Amino acid sequence: MILLTFLIAGCGRPAADDRTIVYNCAASTADIASLQRDARELKARTGIDLKLNPFSGEEKLYAMIAAGQAPDVFYTNGAVRDRLAAEGRVLDLRPLAEHDPFFARLRPEVRTAAPSLDGGIYSVSNWTLTCGVYYNRAAFAAAGLPPPRPDWTWDEFVAAARRLTVPGREAGRPQQYGVFIPAHFVEVLEQMNHAPIPRDALFLQLPPESQEVYAAYLGLIHDGLMPDIRRVQAMGMQASQMLQSGRVAMLVEAVPHAGLIETLTIDWGVAPMPRFGTKEPRYFRSASGGLSISAATRRPADAWRTLTWLVGEAATYQPNPVLADVDFAGAWEAKYPRLRGTGFREVWNLSEQHAGGDPRFFVRFASWSMAPVMSRLQPWLDRLWAGDATLDQVVAAVPEINAGVRQDLERLAKSSGLKPAWKAALERALAAAPKP
Amino acid sequence: MSVPPRSSAGAVARISLTYLALVALGALFSVPVAWMLSSSLHELAAVFAQPYRWLPSPLHWENYVRAVTLLPVGRFLVNTIVITVPVMAATLVSSALVAYGFARFRFPGRDALFALCLATMMLPGQVTMIPLYLLFARLGWVDTYLPLIVPSLFGSPFYIFLLRQFFLTIPGDSEEAALIDGASRLRIWWSVVLPQARPAVATVLIFTFIGTWNDFFGPLLYLNSPEKATLTLGLNLMKTQVLGSGVVEWNVLMAASLLVLLPNVVLFFVAQRQFIRGISMGAGK
Amino acid sequence: MKAEARQGWLFVSPWVIGFVLLTAGPMLYSLYLSFTSASLLSVPQWIGGENYRRMASDPLFYRSLANTAVYAGMGVPTGLLLALGLALLLNAPVRGIGFFRALFFLPSVTNTVALSLLWLWLLNPEFGLLNTALRAVGIEGPLWLQSEAWAKPALVLMSLWTVGGQAVIFLAALQGVPRELGEAAAIDGAGAVRRFFAVTLPMISPALLFNLIMGLVGALQVFTQAFVMTGGVQPGSEGGPNQATLFIVLYIYKKAFQEFDMGYASALAWALFVLIVGCSALAFRLARERVHYEGGQP
Repeated sequence: MILLTFLIAGCGRPAADDRTIVYNCAASTADIASLQRDARELKARTGIDLKLNPFSGEEKLYAMIAAGQAPDVFYTNGAVRDRLAAEGRVLDLRPLAEHDPFFARLRPEVRTAAPSLDGGIYSVSNWTLTCGVYYNRAAFAAAGLPPPRPDWTWDEFVAAARRLTVPGREAGRPQQYGVFIPAHFVEVLEQMNHAPIPRDALFLQLPPESQEVYAAYLGLIHDGLMPDIRRVQAMGMQASQMLQSGRVAMLVEAVPHAGLIETLTIDWGVAPMPRFGTKEPRYFRSASGGLSISAATRRPADAWRTLTWLVGEAATYQPNPVLADVDFAGAWEAKYPRLRGTGFREVWNLSEQHAGGDPRFFVRFASWSMAPVMSRLQPWLDRLWAGDATLDQVVAAVPEINAGVRQDLERLAKSSGLKPAWKAALERALAAAPKP
Repeated sequence: MSVPPRSSAGAVARISLTYLALVALGALFSVPVAWMLSSSLHELAAVFAQPYRWLPSPLHWENYVRAVTLLPVGRFLVNTIVITVPVMAATLVSSALVAYGFARFRFPGRDALFALCLATMMLPGQVTMIPLYLLFARLGWVDTYLPLIVPSLFGSPFYIFLLRQFFLTIPGDSEEAALIDGASRLRIWWSVVLPQARPAVATVLIFTFIGTWNDFFGPLLYLNSPEKATLTLGLNLMKTQVLGSGVVEWNVLMAASLLVLLPNVVLFFVAQRQFIRGISMGAGK
Repeated sequence: MKAEARQGWLFVSPWVIGFVLLTAGPMLYSLYLSFTSASLLSVPQWIGGENYRRMASDPLFYRSLANTAVYAGMGVPTGLLLALGLALLLNAPVRGIGFFRALFFLPSVTNTVALSLLWLWLLNPEFGLLNTALRAVGIEGPLWLQSEAWAKPALVLMSLWTVGGQAVIFLAALQGVPRELGEAAAIDGAGAVRRFFAVTLPMISPALLFNLIMGLVGALQVFTQAFVMTGGVQPGSEGGPNQATLFIVLYIYKKAFQEFDMGYASALAWALFVLIVGCSALAFRLARERVHYEGGQP
């Protein structure tokens, strides 16, 4: 029996001469089924055997890399990508991308966001998005409100939220909240309020513009217009379920968002993000990560072909907003006809008018410092949401947080695994950053 | 609670009180499972409904269908069995051999060795986790079942302890007789001692089954390919899939969880008596 | 005599080999790693006691220690009490007791992931059974896992549900208490409570020690529940609200497999090992005079 098990465990290793490309995809079951259909097309066209590995999770990826079983193509966010690049674990894609017409098809900001600290290109963004305010039309009608204007302001947005909040039987627990803004979208509000945070900031900064946004955000919770973030997190409901079930009337979420579009059966629309006073809006478009190729791949050319196919051709991911030569709004409306008349096209086009936007979405810190910053900031945010800390206390804690971040980064700069170019780049960045 | 009844009225009162406590506590303990069952048969909206309706109507059996079709559950089941059966066999044989050695032989260093063996029970797996991972990675065993099975060939301290305690309670007469008849020690262990240790053997098998069937961390660490995943890993995968797809289908998650629990429940009801007897030999002494 | 020793060694050799290869070897290697700056991906580089110095000034290490201690401090005694109470109840010679034994034991054979999912749902502040029940009696329940104050009690509550395993061990010990002893005490006129403390408790003290040690070891190594139940979307959110469920093993896991700081993770793991051995030794020492072994040491 034991021997038998060994036999079973031992088989399934690819032979040396096959053309299997393993793709680690963080995909839903439906996407996987669809990708498997696409993969047959890829095989017919190129002879490449695509093997889908639907495990996600960075710890898993690292363990696979350490064990010498890295998938050929995998998703990375900025922080993981740069860490892997610094240790020489992902391929510099420049030689592959240089002469490939595919690379020219990418939106300019996707191409300019691609190079890392040492100038190498270690990933290609596979998706990009902006965000908007999804709203329940019936709730607006019931409150006697006209649909939001595209150039509405934060004050109008808050006033609408107030009108949309329906008191419940118990005091302090509305039956319908006016709005819900997931915490990670606060960064978008900071940008709309022109918070002057440089793109490659290594350290945490909370300038007055950011503090204003945080105060406004907390105000929504405090006034009972928005549910307590912790309660929403504990509820085990996705944001779309909140809007669908009528618990909130407005929801800030990503545009495009397939999961949301597929689940909402209410009559909904989507409006641009509100602007702050008379400040010029900064609609953005951003990619939070991309596809990388393992440095250990035995077939870089096949891996690159698979990568370009995934981004530019696989039906599952088309139309793809990273491609400049596609009318994304039109193609997406053709894919999801119910989007017509929702305001989706207008929101998307606004993001296109503001060329490039800011790719820091979700990652306002340089990739080097995201983990050190977030691991220190998150407990403070937890306390802020719980009312156990004031905004002033969080602002006062910034130097302490940054001192810890600096320690972590200096330790990283000393560690043995980094390639010299990366080590030098990190040391330069550290030296340039203001001392606490 | 071994008090002779003083009067029949007192006995009736005592028994009623015992039942009352048993039923009340029993209800409290079974509510979570009942709820799991109930919500696994609801449609999603009813799961979030307030007040909650305990009896779903109609019964949404399709949640179970979805639970087993969302991911290749059949494959996961086979994988789990392929790991569990060898682990059970290997753990039993190796632990029983070692336990017999500790129970029946006198040799220098035996007691110190046994104490060391007991001490390793307290070792947190995390101390050896990283080096073991590197070891197995170097051997090329990652993403195979070997890291999950091979360690069971070397016995497990808890079962060694349990079996040794049991062996000590078996009188040595029949072994002496067999020895005089010229049987080897190994043969005696197999055909004389083990048959007499049936309750302890059953306990070890059941414990190993539960431990391996439910193991989360080992498969999480060592298995990469989804087609090699175990049921527990699949359940965790399903959690992330269901959570990631825009809607949290709690009814389907509950259905899947119940399916994973089922073998344990059946096994326990079948083997309950052996189980408690086996434990009483080791832990209490 | 020589032959017996040889045979004895032969029989115990599987464990000895396993100990050397899979326990002692990796332990020593992990001790070595704890003095290096190893990442999962790079070659270890000797840095002396740096990791231990860093640990001494790492607030998250102390936070995880405190979390683990609070969890063990709440969970182990309540678990023991509940298990003992259950065992006394389940020892009653009434009809159908087998069914009840199975009922109480059942949760402890469940799969931790399934268990975590179930309790995630039970503890849901909005729709969960617990808060629904509390609301029925007019109490607005806490946010449980999302509340810094209630996250650990929530996990303790969940652990109490699986107390059946300990109860079975107590039950087995109780069944070993000779009936005559209790009867003799009853004839002497001892009350039920005094009889329990004077006769029953000393007789089952080995089981108590066993459960105490196993409970401690388990509580100090709590991981899966925290890992499955308190993960979040944002980096840094594992470990619950304001790190309330960042237990030491979860911290080790995060350091090793999310931040790839293998050297530091090894140092943390060794600190945990020393802690567990220390706690167990203390429990043994405290128990030495109080535990009653039938016919001497095992």
